[in-house]
Amino acid sequence: MQIVVDLNRCQGYAQCVFLAPQVFELHGEEALLYVPAVPDGQDEHVLRASAACPVQAITVGEQAGGDAGVE
Amino acid sequence: MPSPSLSSSPSPSPSPSSSPSSSETLFRRITDYAHRADPYPLYAELREHKVARQEDGKYLVGTYDEIAALLHDPRVSSDVRNRTEPDPALLPPEGLPPAFIGRDDPEHDRLRRLAMRPFGPPHSPGRVDALRGDITRIAEQLADGLRDKERFDLVDDFAFPLPVTVICDLLGVPSGDIPQVHTWADTVVTGLDFTPGEDPGPRRRAAQEARAAMGLYLGELAEKRRRQPTGDMLSALANDGGPDGQLTQEELMVSTVLLLIAGHETTVNLITNGMLTLLRNPEALERLRAEPELMPRAVEELLRYEPPVQFLPQRTPLADIEVAGVTIPEGVPLVLVLASGNRDPLRFPDPDRFDPDRKDNQHFGFGSGIHNCFGAPLARLETQIALTTLISRLDGSRLLEDPPEYRNSPVLRGPRHLPLAQAQR
Repeated sequence: MQIVVDLNRCQGYAQCVFLAPQVFELHGEEALLYVPAVPDGQDEHVLRASAACPVQAITVGEQAGGDAGVE
Repeated sequence: MPSPSLSSSPSPSPSPSSSPSSSETLFRRITDYAHRADPYPLYAELREHKVARQEDGKYLVGTYDEIAALLHDPRVSSDVRNRTEPDPALLPPEGLPPAFIGRDDPEHDRLRRLAMRPFGPPHSPGRVDALRGDITRIAEQLADGLRDKERFDLVDDFAFPLPVTVICDLLGVPSGDIPQVHTWADTVVTGLDFTPGEDPGPRRRAAQEARAAMGLYLGELAEKRRRQPTGDMLSALANDGGPDGQLTQEELMVSTVLLLIAGHETTVNLITNGMLTLLRNPEALERLRAEPELMPRAVEELLRYEPPVQFLPQRTPLADIEVAGVTIPEGVPLVLVLASGNRDPLRFPDPDRFDPDRKDNQHFGFGSGIHNCFGAPLARLETQIALTTLISRLDGSRLLEDPPEYRNSPVLRGPRHLPLAQAQR
């Protein structure tokens, strides 16, 4: 599983950091850092985090740039 | 299913401004208990006006774009002390400052950041995630206790005890004190009710007293934790400081009262509204039973479709603000009807349909902007786990009353009881 975050949309609500702290991290008070290739065992966390983003900035796909972002 | 609640209006024609169905009476009608089971037709009426001035000088806003703009507008205050005419229902107890939900930046930001330190990122990123196991265990225990019952009340037997146990645990309130805390929390919320034609004085005084008693209780508990920390949020708030220093004793009291009340009175409605919505939409329920990985999105849709906080009653413009061609004057009560924005057809296609697959679901279930719900990640996790546990462990549940009996509050709207029956195996 791969993720892409649209950092232009990201507003620093940090909901993803609460729900998938192994994958998303705050640098300082609001800048977001994340691991694009989701580590094993974190898929469920990432799906919860992506659904929870208040500005829908997180795209999840099997391969970033492949089927990611299919709506 | 709910019937259109405007059918009681005798006049079918577009009415003059003095008629009872005029937009000036919308707030009165929304808060009228008769419309509690289905306020949505009133919200549709509100959206036709976008902004509706009320007979008492309040302004209601019900369309998505306008609500979004106001939630992000620094000229809109959350501090009711900025009202031209003070609203006794919303003021904090004598001598105590308002909690951060009722403050503006920069004080709001400082208080919220201090309260966030032991709860979430950047300082405590794993705290909510670490509760997953405990929440699951509590939910499974509660659900197992219901399996052999022919009928039960989802509120008293499940949706209430789950979040209350979790929030008390998280803060560090001993389980023996939960009944007392619950009585206080209920009294505080009752004080926020708008019951037309009733003298609100005694209810409000009782609410102020309960709030003060709860603050004293939590203040004393924090003192104990200061001497003997126990690893919970109260211990951290009492002992740990950062660049902003620490909360003062008063700030700690009002902040923890807020967290405890919010943890008591909101998630219970999200879980109960969730089960009610799923039982009314059996197709969605079956899909979620078969594909539990859809639950996170289903909960987002639930937050849009039946938000546990229906409107924000405590905003005030700090200047005259023009919204959709109407000037909302400085100092008036401004009511943002989140649940109406969530059903705005200009933002959400087919908004009255519950669609667990809904894309682009930027709802106002937790508000938006700087006051975005503090406990949102916890409420999400609790509700995802609660509904997954209920539908996997209880098959063949059915509603015994539809619509069920609702709690009085039009703001924190949800069933008082949700009696369910189970097919016996």
